[in-house]
Amino acid sequence: MDFSVMFQQLCKGSLVTMQLFIIVLPLSLILGILVMLGARCSIKPIRWFFEFYIYILRGTPLLLQMLILFYGLYYIPGIGPHLVITSRSFACTLAFTLNYAAYFAEIFRGGLLAVDPGQYEASKVLGLSKSQMYLHVVFPQMFRVALPSTANETITLVKDTSLIFALGIEELLQNATNIVNSQATFVPYIFAAIFYLVLTTIPSVIFKKLEKKFDF
Amino acid sequence: MMSVLKAKNLKKSFGDLCVLRDISFEVEKGEVVAVIGPSGGGKSTLLRSLIDLEKIDGGSIWIDGDPLVENGIYCKPAKIAAATAKTGMVFQHFNLFPHLTVRKNLELAPKLVKKQDSKITADDCTRYLNKVGLSEKANSYPRELSGGQKQRVAIARALMMHPDILLFDEPTSALDPELTVEVLDTMKQLARDSMTMIVVTHEMSFAREVANKVIFMDQGVILEEGPPEQIFSNPTQPRTKEFLNSILKGQ
Repeated sequence: MDFSVMFQQLCKGSLVTMQLFIIVLPLSLILGILVMLGARCSIKPIRWFFEFYIYILRGTPLLLQMLILFYGLYYIPGIGPHLVITSRSFACTLAFTLNYAAYFAEIFRGGLLAVDPGQYEASKVLGLSKSQMYLHVVFPQMFRVALPSTANETITLVKDTSLIFALGIEELLQNATNIVNSQATFVPYIFAAIFYLVLTTIPSVIFKKLEKKFDF
Repeated sequence: MMSVLKAKNLKKSFGDLCVLRDISFEVEKGEVVAVIGPSGGGKSTLLRSLIDLEKIDGGSIWIDGDPLVENGIYCKPAKIAAATAKTGMVFQHFNLFPHLTVRKNLELAPKLVKKQDSKITADDCTRYLNKVGLSEKANSYPRELSGGQKQRVAIARALMMHPDILLFDEPTSALDPELTVEVLDTMKQLARDSMTMIVVTHEMSFAREVANKVIFMDQGVILEEGPPEQIFSNPTQPRTKEFLNSILKGQ
């Protein structure tokens, strides 16, 4: 097989990988903050809901969650047929976002616990409202503490994108496998590894920079 | 003369432990009140209740005549905010915002809370940093400062909101002895500028030299109050004598 054809296939695959990554990362970060706030809510039913959410999403495999979202919704009695997701890529994006939000929520919760209670008191005596306090005082400190774990989770996200082959989407690893099988050569796997390395290096460099910047 | 702060019959318990039993006192404008007494006597709880960091169980607090709580019933949040806005607080552990520079620490609240013009805020910031002798540290981060410098920044930050009364909760207790002097000097200067202050402190020399009134608290009760000469030279209560003897021996 022509080298350029192989290269093209792998590029196409990594484009799919990157697309998923770029959409899922910001969505799951934002949803993660909301889930974290929900799991700390003083209204008990809301707190229970989000604690249960984290429990389920962290306690079952992402692959299984993807399969259930795409194939399983139909079987919910009554409303099932109306919930069916027909787009494979949408099902993947949704499953990844919901799953990673649960992890990010836990990471942020840890970061929040690390913020000194004195910071809340100082904000209060200066007259800051709750939202001003969280936005300007608490969250920046929470993010700094959460940064290393967030970097870890982000890199895992790049690699986890290979799971979407299960819904028949041709991403990087799947394309490599296809060539390996048809051409009886192992080389595409080596190149796939290099592609993944490049893709994970970018976020790790960015996070290292952020850690330096937020070293207060 | 109207008092800047008036507290009447304050009561507070943590579970079975009664920390404030029927505390009443007033603070006049420009007065410096030192609150002294053994640890666990309710001094900090009293101070924190005056700025709504602790909720009292009974009694009333007025700041500039505006109620914060009356007969144990707290006002609406907007009224509480209005009353506490006239009060500033300096903490034992400074509680500076570590992710912001000194300048931004000072400017955050005036900008967010008062929506104050940024030119005025910047001028205030320069003025108050000058006052505490730290104008060259405007762009430093808190971690780059000594404990004494941090506490002086915290004082400047409190002044930025132009409080009518400033509360100090053991402002030098977390500092090395050689650093307490610079903080006490800053507070003395505030006293000379007629800032109204309530200071919970273990620094008897400060209470003696700077305060107009000393309150001795033990087991949730004000046992004795009066001008410093009287409290330090002629305490009427045996408990006060005992406390002063033990603490002055140590210093």
